[in-house]
Amino acid sequence: MNLPHIHLLLNHWPIIGTFIGLGLYVIALATRNRDLRQASYVLFAALTLLAIPVYLSGNSAAEVMKKQQGWSASLATSHEGAAMLATLALGLTGIFAICGLWPSAKGVKTEPHSQSWVSLAVLLSALATAGLMAVAGNTGGHISHPEIIKEGEPPSDIAQIGEKVVLGVRYFVIDYSRWIWPFVEDLHFIGLIMLVSVVGIISVRTLGFFKQLPLAPLQRLIPIGLLGFGINVVTGFMFFIGMPFFYYGNWYFQVKIAAIFVAAALLVMFYCTSMFVKWGNAGPGQDAPMIAKLVAVLSLVLWIAIVIIGRYIPLGESV
Amino acid sequence: MNVPHFFLTIEESGLSMWVRDNPFWAILSMHALGMAVLVGASMLVALRVLGIPQGLPFAPLKRLYGFIWAGFWIQFVSGMLLLIGYPTKSLTNWDFYIKLILIIAGMVAMVMLKKRVFTDPGLSEADMRLRGKSLAVLSLLFWAGVVTTGRMLAYTYTHVSYPG
Repeated sequence: MNLPHIHLLLNHWPIIGTFIGLGLYVIALATRNRDLRQASYVLFAALTLLAIPVYLSGNSAAEVMKKQQGWSASLATSHEGAAMLATLALGLTGIFAICGLWPSAKGVKTEPHSQSWVSLAVLLSALATAGLMAVAGNTGGHISHPEIIKEGEPPSDIAQIGEKVVLGVRYFVIDYSRWIWPFVEDLHFIGLIMLVSVVGIISVRTLGFFKQLPLAPLQRLIPIGLLGFGINVVTGFMFFIGMPFFYYGNWYFQVKIAAIFVAAALLVMFYCTSMFVKWGNAGPGQDAPMIAKLVAVLSLVLWIAIVIIGRYIPLGESV
Repeated sequence: MNVPHFFLTIEESGLSMWVRDNPFWAILSMHALGMAVLVGASMLVALRVLGIPQGLPFAPLKRLYGFIWAGFWIQFVSGMLLLIGYPTKSLTNWDFYIKLILIIAGMVAMVMLKKRVFTDPGLSEADMRLRGKSLAVLSLLFWAGVVTTGRMLAYTYTHVSYPG
């Protein structure tokens, strides 16, 4: 298995998943089915995390495809642009979906009134994502199957906008000023601190240290950890778009992204959903459930490993 | 500017050469993890003093100072090793001295915060916030400054005897 293989293996999921999620979500809204709505929120959040390795493995797939007959660089940049916009839209949908999940993590059974804007935001954002995913899928299909392109078919306008976004970000990060890259790195470190300290204290408490601290109010720190994660995804993408050639063939980078996918999935699935309610019952001096301890150990090990592997990325330059 | 001969003497020592060799990235990784422990634990204390998150008892957070000091010593040892590896690069850079001053300011703010907030167990929530608020904000600013000046070390140096 290589990166182009991974790209092919994963890239259909965010597209098909968004359509399935949207379908489930519309049914959930129409039937006022709370559980189904929560399930579609979880699906959107998971797809958002999956879209990260999909986008980041695209350049490697292109490297292999370049050697094939009929390769067209313009079709590839078109797909890159469309994928950028689709990933951004899915990211937004994922953020709204996590906002929608949040009350259930605190055991709130009936949604507060403020949740109606979340429902609307998820719906609109998922609709936009579905449209952009269709363009991303279509332009991607054109690369390996140029026979499906209609004769005289103009390149997608949406993809062209996306191409401009990619080029704009690259210009901003690399050429606009020599201080942008260091500043973005600084933000990446600050995001790291927010994320690791929040995951750290919750995990350490779950494992029995700081036992006087009740778990439920500690979990309210999660938005700070998620904000740190969000800062690092955005700044990380800025690095990647700035110098993709430096990262996509880098073994440390690849392992880091895989580890982030698992660690972030644990963070969202166990600390932002109703899964947490039972764990949150652990009051001062009380033990957390066994499964919570297992997730805590895994999270700690993964995030520490991610920091270390991240620090090794420059060493993998020549790989 | 002439680079003091002393820096070059350090750079030619066995320990300095050892640091620049294989363990350099491992030491840098420890420095990143130590940063997360020291600054992260300080941030959690400061945020709680500012009322985030609500409903979390603050007295047990005194034990976070164990993490703060552990993080500080990880940073001290790994930082000293990095300095021994590249003394010219750091010691001829004004940014490095600003970082050191900010580290001292950050640690002093944390120690003062502990005295003001954690020594009296009977302190009410409102009193705790009132007494600690300005120190908590200051410490967050100092730590952000430490991280920023630290990160900028890689971009502001003017002299280096052993480039990358």
